[in-house]
Amino acid sequence: MLEAVDVRFGYARTPRTGGSDPESARPFVIDGVTLRVGRGEVVGVLGPNGSGKTTLLGLMAGALRPASGRVQLDAADVSHMPRRQVARRLAVVPQETALAFDYTVLEMVLMGRYPHLGTFEVEGPGDLAAARAALEATGTATLADRPFRTLSGGEKQRVVIASALAQLDGAPGDAPALLLLDEPTASLDLRYQLEVAALITRLHESRGITILLSTHDLRLAATVCTDIVLLSRGRVLAHGRPQDVLTPALVGQVFEVDEGQARPFCLSPA
Amino acid sequence: MKVRTCITLIAVAVLAAAQNAKPSRIVSLVPAVTEMLYAIGAAGEVAGVSSYDSFPPEVASKPRVGALLDPDFERILSLKPDLVIVYSTQHDLIDRLERARVPMFVDEHAGLADITATIRRLGRRIRRAERADQVAASIERELADIRRRVAGRPRPKTALIFGREPGSLRSIYASAGVGFMHDMLEAAGGTDVFGDVMRQSLQATTEVLLARAPDVILEVHAAEGWTPERVASERDVWRGLPGVPAVKTGRVYLVADDRISVPGPRVADAVRVLARLLHPGAFDKGPGGTSTKPR
Amino acid sequence: MTSPLRRGAPAVLLCFVAMVAAVLAAPLIGSTPISFGRVFSRTIPFADNVDAQIFFIARLPRAVAAALVGGALAAAGVVFQGLLRNPLATPYTLGVSAGAALGAMIAITFGSALPMIGVAPASLAGAALAVGVVYMLARARHRGLSTTVLLLAGVTLNSFFSALILFVQYLAGPGDLFRALRWLMGDLDVASYEPIVAALPFVALAFAGFAWLARPLNLLSIGAEAAGARGVDVERAQRVAFFSASLATGAAVSVGGPIGFIGIIVPHLVRLVVGADHRLVLPASTFFGAAFLVGCDAVARIALAPLELPVGIVTAVIGGPFFLWMLLRRS
Repeated sequence: MLEAVDVRFGYARTPRTGGSDPESARPFVIDGVTLRVGRGEVVGVLGPNGSGKTTLLGLMAGALRPASGRVQLDAADVSHMPRRQVARRLAVVPQETALAFDYTVLEMVLMGRYPHLGTFEVEGPGDLAAARAALEATGTATLADRPFRTLSGGEKQRVVIASALAQLDGAPGDAPALLLLDEPTASLDLRYQLEVAALITRLHESRGITILLSTHDLRLAATVCTDIVLLSRGRVLAHGRPQDVLTPALVGQVFEVDEGQARPFCLSPA
Repeated sequence: MKVRTCITLIAVAVLAAAQNAKPSRIVSLVPAVTEMLYAIGAAGEVAGVSSYDSFPPEVASKPRVGALLDPDFERILSLKPDLVIVYSTQHDLIDRLERARVPMFVDEHAGLADITATIRRLGRRIRRAERADQVAASIERELADIRRRVAGRPRPKTALIFGREPGSLRSIYASAGVGFMHDMLEAAGGTDVFGDVMRQSLQATTEVLLARAPDVILEVHAAEGWTPERVASERDVWRGLPGVPAVKTGRVYLVADDRISVPGPRVADAVRVLARLLHPGAFDKGPGGTSTKPR
Repeated sequence: MTSPLRRGAPAVLLCFVAMVAAVLAAPLIGSTPISFGRVFSRTIPFADNVDAQIFFIARLPRAVAAALVGGALAAAGVVFQGLLRNPLATPYTLGVSAGAALGAMIAITFGSALPMIGVAPASLAGAALAVGVVYMLARARHRGLSTTVLLLAGVTLNSFFSALILFVQYLAGPGDLFRALRWLMGDLDVASYEPIVAALPFVALAFAGFAWLARPLNLLSIGAEAAGARGVDVERAQRVAFFSASLATGAAVSVGGPIGFIGIIVPHLVRLVVGADHRLVLPASTFFGAAFLVGCDAVARIALAPLELPVGIVTAVIGGPFFLWMLLRRS
């Protein structure tokens, strides 16, 4: 349902006119990635720091426009769809969320309802119900009136996920919802890592939400993903089920370490 | 400050006594004193003037040496003055000139009576005492004449306005209870409507003007840029305050005349201009100065 | 579970009542005692009724102008803080007031030579110039508006224009110089409804933008990317925020001069009460800002009567310590 076809992307440098071929002149952060996220899958984009994971997620969410290739949500090109329409089906949880003002947890979650409301429309009982359901699904209902700023890292992450769930609640028709998570456990300690991993699994299994996440955490990828994409320097190195992809050879290659060093982190010993 | 000025004056006096010579190259940073120098016949001795000097027209050809806030010490020295006329508030300049052993004449900007006193003091300092006494006496005679003419007449409550935002009744500044403007107004036979405020000036808000209810509004400006049409249209702006007696009775006068803003030897003419507006009947006969009464 | 928006509504209503009360009460007090029987007397013709004139010419337009300027500055402060994601931003952070001041200084200094240029239109033109320059700079290298570049350009332009202001003041004669300096301290004695009517279309347009912005600003203030992911047209929201807040600031400054601290104290006080939701903060700040400046101006009128205390000094004396307290509280 979400698909990248031969996508290339580079961050703009000083544009130069004439002379050398622009494609060879600037390095692509994402260089010819083709990737398919099917309905009900949990796809993990796994790669080292700087491999282009966050950029790839930005492209998949339509926040960035590819230099070539295209990203499709069902049959439509994401970068040509109205932002609100995309947002009703596809929610993004960024790596970190810092607020400039003291919003409460409930306010934060209700912000997820933005794409469902008209310009001057105020959240109604339906929106409040969606927020409440999202808070309960993430185990944060007791935090509703707390200022977001005062939460711990793990609580913040769950609240942002709740906001994303509220955003996906009531998507038009029976079009399945997509959740994009950028490094969901990167800055969390073990307990919170486990909590968030459990939450992801729960969302997938009990609600059938399709998930695309990026991570450099092999254990998380192995635990929650149905499919894994190994990303190295902006290119896809391998794509398949965890037990097929998380081999010492491939993991060593993608993280640029010896096979022996990679072996303890892998699922299959081969 | 007073002590400091006294010390300065003593130092200047000692230096002058030591030199005991008639100054021949005078630099003046005070436009009013420049006018006095010309009035007492010292035109030839003026070697430099301030950037704001415009009277008499001959000053146009004199070198400029800055003004109150930005005196150019180097230019002053380069003119090799044997007397520099400074404001009493120019402390830095006074210190530097003292160190350079350049004699000074310190002008104290104050009320109307100080003008003739300054002329006499200046005359003695530059060895033209006789001519200075004549000029001062003539000013005093003229002022006495004006005072005599307006004496006994009802003194209208007057707002003397010297600043206002063009085309509106905003940022209005009026003369208050002390200073040269206030003294001129009183000498011209008016009662300063802000005479109880012991300051040189105040911002006259619309409320204060309505409350104080001046019988006459006298707005004075430098002459430059004031065409008769502009005088007429700016005078009309006052109609925005219809309750003020001056507006009701049409006694709003707008005078664009450089003499009024300079506490110099033309002050008697300036007072006469104001007095004629305040007491037109008092000047029907006999000698009179020139006035530029609008309309 | 009730909507947080509903919980804040009474506070907004209270701010509105405070504004109305301030505008109605301010003309009743002043340096001159007036009789209200005479103010509204039908037997005395208006031309002879000094009490009525003090009320309707001197005080009421002034209270209305204070409300307009205070409301516009407080709301512009809220919008700039949301746009820049910085609670310490003010309506003057991006150089609007410096541009307005430069225009006003030029009009005052060369006013005797060029009497056709009014101070208010000149300050509005100066503000427009500053806004244009900052916008061009912020757009030059990015698809959207880079808040970092906005801040840098604004701060730089502020100091550059300040230098030009000093240069123009240096050229001014003593009388004009005094008026120029006085303009910078803020003055709401508008003397008629004309300046208010002239500024009203600009302020109205700005507030139309603010009304549309209230919800997108919530999302912008959690980050441009996060806002985009929730369906906000980030570029458009940033553009509307920048131009409408600049417009409100420019119009307010053209009426009352660069009165400081309203745009920062008021939003912060309001947030303490209603929380962070811009749909509450914006209207509450507008109303409370209006009431606050009407109050400050009443102090300015009475404190040293018959002398006028510049209203910018009143707001700064209250605002300066408040700002420092806020900085301490944040760190």
